[in-house]
Amino acid sequence: MEFKDYYATLGVERGATDDDVRQAYRKLARKYHPDVSKEADAEQRMRDVNEAYQVLKDPEKRAAYDNLAAGVSSGGDFRPPPDWDSGFEFRGAGPGDEAAFSEFFSSLFGGGGRRGGGAAMRARGEDHHAAIEIDLEDALRGATRDISLRSIGYDEHGQPRLQTRTLNVRIPAGVREGQFIRLAGQGMPGMGGGENGDLYLEVRFKPHPRYRVEGRDLYMDLPVAPWEAALGATVRAPTPHGPVEVGVPANSREGRKLRLKGRGIPGDPAGDLYLVLEIAWPPADTEKARQAYRHLAQEVPFDPRRNLGD
Amino acid sequence: MKTVAVTATLVGKEAPLSTGELARACGAEETWVLQLVKVGIVEASGRPADWRFDSAALRQALAARSLQRDFDASLDAAALILDMSSEIRRLRARLRVLGMDADGF
Repeated sequence: MEFKDYYATLGVERGATDDDVRQAYRKLARKYHPDVSKEADAEQRMRDVNEAYQVLKDPEKRAAYDNLAAGVSSGGDFRPPPDWDSGFEFRGAGPGDEAAFSEFFSSLFGGGGRRGGGAAMRARGEDHHAAIEIDLEDALRGATRDISLRSIGYDEHGQPRLQTRTLNVRIPAGVREGQFIRLAGQGMPGMGGGENGDLYLEVRFKPHPRYRVEGRDLYMDLPVAPWEAALGATVRAPTPHGPVEVGVPANSREGRKLRLKGRGIPGDPAGDLYLVLEIAWPPADTEKARQAYRHLAQEVPFDPRRNLGD
Repeated sequence: MKTVAVTATLVGKEAPLSTGELARACGAEETWVLQLVKVGIVEASGRPADWRFDSAALRQALAARSLQRDFDASLDAAALILDMSSEIRRLRARLRVLGMDADGF
């Protein structure tokens, strides 16, 4: 596992004051905010910055981090398990953190029981947040995924050890981008007999090569031949729910949307699938094809620039 | 390695969050959630004594929390920032649907 230098991420000295840390964070958060940033890797940088800030702004976490950093530089063993990289991002030491966090972070702070407070205190564990990236197909049909969560435990010598627990999560069909999946009792352990917190997974879709997603609706480009668009035709189109025969109306233009009701992401109401017509011209790469284009030009008086004026 | 099967619920119409659950998910108090509703950062359904919140409300609430905590934003400023942010996302999603992105084609 790569050791993360949170001080370097925020560009502050090790002895930086809370104020320095906050100022540095605010500056970087503006620079890399995904809504405004022009940087290509803004989202990843924002995550790194958020993660570093969540640790360094909290005196308890910062002390734990400094301890660990000292151990690493003197050759401390901090090796991840072999199935380390499972595409899972932890999203918060405390509840309500907007940021997504690296495995490094979750191994440090993801429910290792490093909580302050008196031993006699009874408290419900904090809720945790994480992001999960799924394929569109998982949302259409539902899926089962194993999700690994890591935390730090201590062995009999009091040495920190990484622990991994794997949750088998059923992703319900009909889940939308940005929706939360709630796993009851999988957040921070409670204290003194208190209930465990919950774990919230925010769903993100991996980009799909064919479909664009907007809410529950899907959009797909459907190539048609010029004569199919001009004369009308019935064409076969693949959909996530299997192929369909779809009628292309005569005189269809490029960009015309054909709506297939209920063929988007399932739900109440189910989303629709829009087929966006894309007119594909046959290449004029044979004498026959060139002849056909010449023939069309002769037979059909057509000036595509007539509306442009002089 | 031990695998634990867990029950997953989709936060939404079928399984909404109560006021207390939303507050807890954000590490906040219930009174804070009442303020969010009042300012219009989150929408609640149901009767005031028995409010229900969906995933969009949770997302908004988490974002408002971090704006307040990390930027000392007032709730009204947070509301404005979140409105603008959601408008940017809506426009970007429209552009994507049209096969474009915000910085060109």
